Amino acid sequence: MKELIDAATKEALLRYGDAACEEFQRRLGQGRLCSTRCRACREIAFPPRDFCPHCGAREAEWLDLPRRATLYAFTQQQRGLRFLAPDVLGLVEVEGVGHFLTRIDAPFERLTIGLPLEVAFLEICPGVWVHQYRPV
Amino acid sequence: MTQAVIAGVAAIPVARKLPRAVRDVATDLCFAALADAGLPARDVDGLFVTPPALSGMSGFMWSCTLAHHLGLSTRGQALVECGGLTAALALKQAVQEVRAGRLRACLVVASDIRADDRADDFEFFIRGMAADLVGLYGPYDGLYGLAAPIPYYAMSAQRYLHEHHLSRADLAPVAVTLRRFAEKNPRAQLRQPITEQEVLEAPPICPPLGLLDCSAFASGAAAVVVASPDVARRGPRRPVAVRAIGEAHEPAHFAPLREPLSRFPSAGRAAQEAYAEARLQPVDVDVAEVYGVFTATELVLYEELGFFDRGRAAHAVREGRTSGGGTTVFNPSGGRLSLGHPAGATPLYSIVELVEQLRGGCGDRQVAGASVGLLHAEHGMLNGSLVGLLEAA
Repeated sequence: MKELIDAATKEALLRYGDAACEEFQRRLGQGRLCSTRCRACREIAFPPRDFCPHCGAREAEWLDLPRRATLYAFTQQQRGLRFLAPDVLGLVEVEGVGHFLTRIDAPFERLTIGLPLEVAFLEICPGVWVHQYRPV
Repeated sequence: MTQAVIAGVAAIPVARKLPRAVRDVATDLCFAALADAGLPARDVDGLFVTPPALSGMSGFMWSCTLAHHLGLSTRGQALVECGGLTAALALKQAVQEVRAGRLRACLVVASDIRADDRADDFEFFIRGMAADLVGLYGPYDGLYGLAAPIPYYAMSAQRYLHEHHLSRADLAPVAVTLRRFAEKNPRAQLRQPITEQEVLEAPPICPPLGLLDCSAFASGAAAVVVASPDVARRGPRRPVAVRAIGEAHEPAHFAPLREPLSRFPSAGRAAQEAYAEARLQPVDVDVAEVYGVFTATELVLYEELGFFDRGRAAHAVREGRTSGGGTTVFNPSGGRLSLGHPAGATPLYSIVELVEQLRGGCGDRQVAGASVGLLHAEHGMLNGSLVGLLEAA
């Protein structure tokens, strides 16, 4: 079954992803969590774009995001598609960026809002990476 | 500007599966809505539809195949899609055409099929789901294997409870209150009485949400006739006027990057537009059908739509002020939690309930003297909303 999910995921990434998504994946594979910053208004976008969704400028540059985050919200899926239960998901707050969805690599019971976290990386199938966070 | 009125409505009971093929169901509902409006099919000059199923069965050219099947010659037809807003936007298109004076009698048809026999084929299901996940949640969030948008709503609920010093127990009365209404609604999917204790002890889905904090998997269909007042006047029923429609979308799909997850600002923005256009205020609304798919969402919506101060809706529900003890009755249909939530058709079910309430024909769940109704629908995670105001004409 994992092979089925992997094949469908890779195909879907090609269909629904874009050039910025491909670069984001490449950098995740190098152990770097990155996004883009507008060269004009200096706002950081997340996820990355090759333009600025804030001011509309077409020039954006890549940058490494801070490795630290705090836990903004968290929950647990009883039945997820990719990770076995307990499948802990959270929104993490990264300074200067905002909050975004990630996997939390820790038991649900240990978590509290505001908990300090650090980024880690996980290859979910050959060549496809996700970021996940662990308590510091 | 011509006024647009709702002249006829029809809906089947919400259930896990559709009782017949979607084409048969849609056909029956079109005839039922036209009969309700007292109009012959040949008077229809517009057809606006949702996909037959929001996710699953293809909607490719469905408005064309349905028009062909029904033998309709129109001057306007379209299939509309925008997540949970879909049916509301199909309705809006009909309303705009009638207001502009271009069309005089439009059929709006909405359906959703959430339980599909093909889904019993596990391999088919998993392969389709893995691909759809990336399509629906995008190439970032979609990689985490979300089985439904429930984790986002669960975290929104967690933030709402956290920020207002509330607990899971404060959500339970929402589910119980809505179930009490559904007991009186023959169209409702879930009509068995429940208690707060049962809500709190139900299996967890995504904490803090348990099974009874969430709407169930459902299919359903509804049809509505939107007409100009002169056409509607010929029918046997009291027409219901569409006084105003407001709509607002945030630049976020599911979780916003910076705004608080406990807020749904699009609902407030859409409501402000509608209230201003109709020159009405929340206190004028007798009955509201809102798109609360989870207990906590329901509370946030009552607040965003202007009915209660932030963090106060849970107390209002517990004190019965949302179910007859206040100025507005919320979701007398049983709401998404108990009437059921066939997402593609949900906003039309809300319209059907509001129209029947404003006509005064809802039997023992009738809101006494109801003359103004509010529709709320959303797409994604409340990042886009539509608010409509209806009034007995």
